[in-house]
Amino acid sequence: MRVLVIDPDPARAALVAEGLAGVDPLDVRQSAIFNAAEALAFGPDVIVVACDSPDRDTLESLREATQTNPRPIVMFADRSEPGLAEQAVRAGVAAYVVDGLAPGRVRPILDVAMSRFSLMQQLRGDLAKAKADLQSRKTVDRAKGLLMKERGLDEEAAYGLLRKLAMDKGRPIGAVAADLLAFAGILKGDGA
Amino acid sequence: MSDRVELRLGFIPLVDCAPLVVAVEEGFFADEGLSVTLSREASWANIRDKVAVGALDGAHMLGPMVLAASLGSAGLVTPTVAPLALNAGGSAITVSRALAAELRDIAPATTPCSAGPLAALIAARAAAGTPPLSFAVVFPYSIHNYQLRYWLAEAGIDPDRDVRIVVTPPPRMAERLRSGEIDGFCVGAPWNAVSVLEGAGEILIRASEFWRGAPDKVFGVTRAFAEARPDTLQAALRALLRAGVWADSPGNRGALATMLASPRYVGSPEATVAASLMRPGAEGQAPVADPIVFHNNAASFPWRSHAVWFLTQMLRWGQIGEAVDIPALARSVYRPDLFRTAAASLGLAAPLVDEKVEGAHAAAWTLDEATAPIPMAGDLFFDGKVFDAGQPLAYARSFAVGRARSPEM
Repeated sequence: MRVLVIDPDPARAALVAEGLAGVDPLDVRQSAIFNAAEALAFGPDVIVVACDSPDRDTLESLREATQTNPRPIVMFADRSEPGLAEQAVRAGVAAYVVDGLAPGRVRPILDVAMSRFSLMQQLRGDLAKAKADLQSRKTVDRAKGLLMKERGLDEEAAYGLLRKLAMDKGRPIGAVAADLLAFAGILKGDGA
Repeated sequence: MSDRVELRLGFIPLVDCAPLVVAVEEGFFADEGLSVTLSREASWANIRDKVAVGALDGAHMLGPMVLAASLGSAGLVTPTVAPLALNAGGSAITVSRALAAELRDIAPATTPCSAGPLAALIAARAAAGTPPLSFAVVFPYSIHNYQLRYWLAEAGIDPDRDVRIVVTPPPRMAERLRSGEIDGFCVGAPWNAVSVLEGAGEILIRASEFWRGAPDKVFGVTRAFAEARPDTLQAALRALLRAGVWADSPGNRGALATMLASPRYVGSPEATVAASLMRPGAEGQAPVADPIVFHNNAASFPWRSHAVWFLTQMLRWGQIGEAVDIPALARSVYRPDLFRTAAASLGLAAPLVDEKVEGAHAAAWTLDEATAPIPMAGDLFFDGKVFDAGQPLAYARSFAVGRARSPEM
């Protein structure tokens, strides 16, 4: 079984390809964009494509068998498992299969693709959160420093004041610290 | 505190998504109590499938794609309805400058441009054993595919045998033409103007010359959505109608170009978008709006004759078989009744007929079968053929080149 993964996001494509390699005797290839000549030479049974790839429309056009493309390729929407294709589209992945391929052989591939897509999304989310946390910590440190300098507080008292402000306003401490720094900047004449 | 109705609507970065953008930017959706999020999508297939599964409530769609989705021709199958057309015209057939020069060497260009010189060139290339020319369209079920095929076939070129037709996403058309991967394409605005301004391509024939008032995109929702949320749909239609009126007001076209050029929407240089919206005026005059129409000439009305015409072309090129009940499918998908309700509540004129004969008016005319007379533009096809939606099968079979031929032929 040969699987071609088309994804403009190379990291995600690699993750999917790696996941698929463990499924079956598989030959998996990945590409950022769909190249008809390369694809034809490879002869995939299944093409897994990210929904944010503009190549889906090209894949849609391969359903008519031609001399250059003797095996029609259709979107996998198996009616024996209602909801599977819908679930995949919502997960951000679509599959195109060589017409006539047994649905049972596609299911595990789609499952892997969907789980890797959601894993990637989670990883990216975690990374964004970690960056935001780090940024927030830096902001809090700077706001703390400002309070220590301007109000003559020690570090613990400065942090306590920030925390109290955050609790009083019902806002994250990072946001309160950012406001404080912004106001201090305005008072000093920045950006005015 | 908000009791606004949330809607997610999809679009593809093309000038004809304008009514959706205008309805957001000018507050027409907000006036109707709708809070609309526009979602820029990477492919028509994605739009179709996201609407089908409810990840989008509605979208900018290709008229033929809505018919195909309802028929189950490809992908996720969902009855979909088109209660409003988004535009008429705007697309064009563009070829590389090298090919345009070769064609001029064979014969001087005519207006409207005929594919005759191209037929001669293709014959010469075939005789010399040169590989066939490649043309790109945006989607198998699109006016662009049918326009290109019709134009080629009129000169005796068989689009399935004599050339290669490939599908390429609109934003990649210009680079593929430049690199020589394709020799020409048929695509919507602004991508023809992009190639022209880059110096890579020349426009041979615009939609307005191929078929004046040629239909193109529609606003599509699932039939289930239309039935479950009729008031929300009417609110959206009113906002889109007002947006079309706004976009066609000549004084607004400059602002429209600025709005659409934004990276959130079409993401092309403003001059390119403007070139797609306006035609240069006479010497010393301001440019005139014309290549694309959003509301005027009943351009936003979902004419069933347009749906039937699309279906005749699907039949002609073997995308559907003769078993398809063309009038019934057109009736279930194109919904002028929903349009009329929205137009009436705004006091806008609406046609009272669902179909019109296409290709019968050389000059401007007035549609009297309407709630108020509507000024209409001419509607000729470049080959002078007339289309009567009452005879779809006979029309589909009437072409010398095509797959839908009478059995005895």
